[in-house]
Amino acid sequence: MTHLDSELTMLKADIIDMWRLVLNQMEKGRDALTNFDRDLAEEVVENEKRVNSYELKIDKDCENIFALFQPVATDLRLVLAALKIGNNLERIGDIAASVADFVLDADTDFNKDILEHTKILEMYAVANEMMADTLEAFDQEDTRLARTIFKRDKILDKIDEAALDRVEESIKNYPDQVRNCLLVLSMIRKLERVGDQSKNIAEEIIFYFEAKVLKHKKKKKKEGDE
Amino acid sequence: MTFPESNDRRKKIGQAVMFGLSKGISYGIVALLFLILFFIIKQGIGVISWEFLTAMPTDGMTKGGIFPAIIGTLYLVGGSMLFAFPVGVMAGIYVHEYAVSGPMKRFVNMMTNNLAGVPSIIFGLFGMALFVNQMGFGASILAGSLTLGLLALPIVIRTTEESLKSVDDTFRQASYALGGSKLYTIRKVVLPIALPNILTGLILAVGRVSGETAPILFTVAAYFLPRLPNSIMDQCMALPYHLYVISTSGTQIEASRPIAYGTAFVLVAIVLIVNILAALLRNYFGKKVKMN
Amino acid sequence: MSNKIETIDVNLHYGDFHALKDISLGIPENSVTALIGPSGCGKSTYLRLFNRMNDLIPETRITGKVLLDGENIYKIKANKIDALRRNVGMVFQKPNPFPKSIFENVAYGLRVNGITDKSFIEGQVEKTLHQAALWDEVKDKLKKSAFELSGGQQQRLCIARALAIEPSIILMDEPASALDPISTGKIEDLIFELKAQYTIVIVTHNMQQAGRVSDYTGFFYLGSLIEFGKTRKIFTNPSKQETENYISGRFG
Repeated sequence: MTHLDSELTMLKADIIDMWRLVLNQMEKGRDALTNFDRDLAEEVVENEKRVNSYELKIDKDCENIFALFQPVATDLRLVLAALKIGNNLERIGDIAASVADFVLDADTDFNKDILEHTKILEMYAVANEMMADTLEAFDQEDTRLARTIFKRDKILDKIDEAALDRVEESIKNYPDQVRNCLLVLSMIRKLERVGDQSKNIAEEIIFYFEAKVLKHKKKKKKEGDE
Repeated sequence: MTFPESNDRRKKIGQAVMFGLSKGISYGIVALLFLILFFIIKQGIGVISWEFLTAMPTDGMTKGGIFPAIIGTLYLVGGSMLFAFPVGVMAGIYVHEYAVSGPMKRFVNMMTNNLAGVPSIIFGLFGMALFVNQMGFGASILAGSLTLGLLALPIVIRTTEESLKSVDDTFRQASYALGGSKLYTIRKVVLPIALPNILTGLILAVGRVSGETAPILFTVAAYFLPRLPNSIMDQCMALPYHLYVISTSGTQIEASRPIAYGTAFVLVAIVLIVNILAALLRNYFGKKVKMN
Repeated sequence: MSNKIETIDVNLHYGDFHALKDISLGIPENSVTALIGPSGCGKSTYLRLFNRMNDLIPETRITGKVLLDGENIYKIKANKIDALRRNVGMVFQKPNPFPKSIFENVAYGLRVNGITDKSFIEGQVEKTLHQAALWDEVKDKLKKSAFELSGGQQQRLCIARALAIEPSIILMDEPASALDPISTGKIEDLIFELKAQYTIVIVTHNMQQAGRVSDYTGFFYLGSLIEFGKTRKIFTNPSKQETENYISGRFG
């Protein structure tokens, strides 16, 4: 293995570690929400620092690789992708922490019906699955799996669009839980962003493995898919 | 930007003139060489026969062969190289590898150059004074070889030095860096690399020595000695001197003219063969030590 | 990590020329240290302090201390210099195998130091050629002349030749500057492999190469050490303006 290869392998390993951490944050956030576990929510908020330091480390590693190795072609694409994936993961980490913050803002536990009716748990399920699949796509160099992400983002978008009405209905059904309902709405608005970040990550994965820039032709592509 | 076309034309003409001139001159030199060779071959080839090469001269050198002169020349060339090669190479090694740069080294260099410029007749006189008289060798192959060797010495020293100079210093450093001593380095690394060039110098010296007349005039050459030498203390005949004798001071110059041309032919042939051998030898060793 | 080599206030003069000025620097063990800087900045001269190669140049004066494993190598007895040089291998700019067979090139350092045990020499040659990643390419032609190898192979042979006597330090003076990019890559990978066992100091004109292979970088300019530090630091955020200018190609 060449020196550059070993550096890139290390970079990849760091990204995967960060990925697992962020996914873990998301899952813990969801558990904190469903079980109204304030300690767990605290932990998620606290762990956000670790996510940030991972991003800084990846940034630094990429900077070093650029400065020391002047990577080209597939190596260059990996480093560029790593930089952006790190960035997107950090934002997902932010979202996970924000949700945990909202949980801490709640006074009572969240009513199961509200969580069910607003589909926030479904959102979590889809978002976490998206993250797990992008991770696998990255790890296994599976661009086909990466392409399935775009469709699933639509599910999140639809839940997000319907959220205002559903929250309003929930408030009517449970007038004593207005505060929690509003918190759930805020959470949904945040979680919708996870889909966008995952989509960005999927684009980077495809860019890295196929050297195709999807970003600017996604409109056409998605219409074609449907 | 536009450039005047006339300038391009002028450049082209200038090029053509200079190129044509240098080409003409070099072809002219080659032509001259061929003319000389042709002249000698034309005049000499008729005389060449197995008998001419292997028989003794007879009838006041107007008949017979030049065998003793050929053998004598070979002895003298061989003898001179036996002396000049080891001495010259060792001197070259000393001057280039050991001597510290400074006035002394410059002086040695200057003297070596001067030695190369000394007219060959002076060597002859010196050889007579030192080897023939002073050291009591008499007119002998030994005295003649040493005299010729002295003549060849500057060439050998010079080429040895140049050859050593052309050996990249990093070869020496690489050997020292492995803990090699100076002597070991010179013996195992530097000399093998320099050898092809040193051999070339040696061959050049052979060419020079085999054609010299003056240094052997007083030290070894026999006017007429229709037998082979018995020992290194014996006199002998030699091709250049033989040629000189039968062309200028023989009793029947006209009658021996063909033999003179035959002798010239043989001498030129020997020099040519030596040079070709040199080229082959150099190529052979050069390949073994080729750099990229 | 401790310092394998340390120089303290080293000054070197060639006649009137002040080639190295007050150089104090510690080179860590089992690492690759690159010395960079423009031509004539003293980096090669500095490199040659460590095996006393500068001794070969007349009128060289050296002051200060050059410590190797804590011992001042300019205070050792003259008969210890060969031992010093055995401990410090050197690889040069142009591949310079000796006019010998591939085998004999690697065996040279053993033979010159008086080792005659045939099977030991054979074992050592094979081991070293493996180390230099050359064995597979030459194992069938060990008796062939070293000059039949390509330039890159010759340079790896020269590295094997240096490794054969088991030095602990390897000095490389622009080891890849005469090679094509593929061969250069192989040499660089080799350097990367070797640093686990050796302390490597490499002089290079090629800044990218310094970036790729080294852990530490020293920038020399006009005989002075301007900056020394981790290569990552030097290449992403140097402390001195001169270093910044040099590595970014905005020099002079």
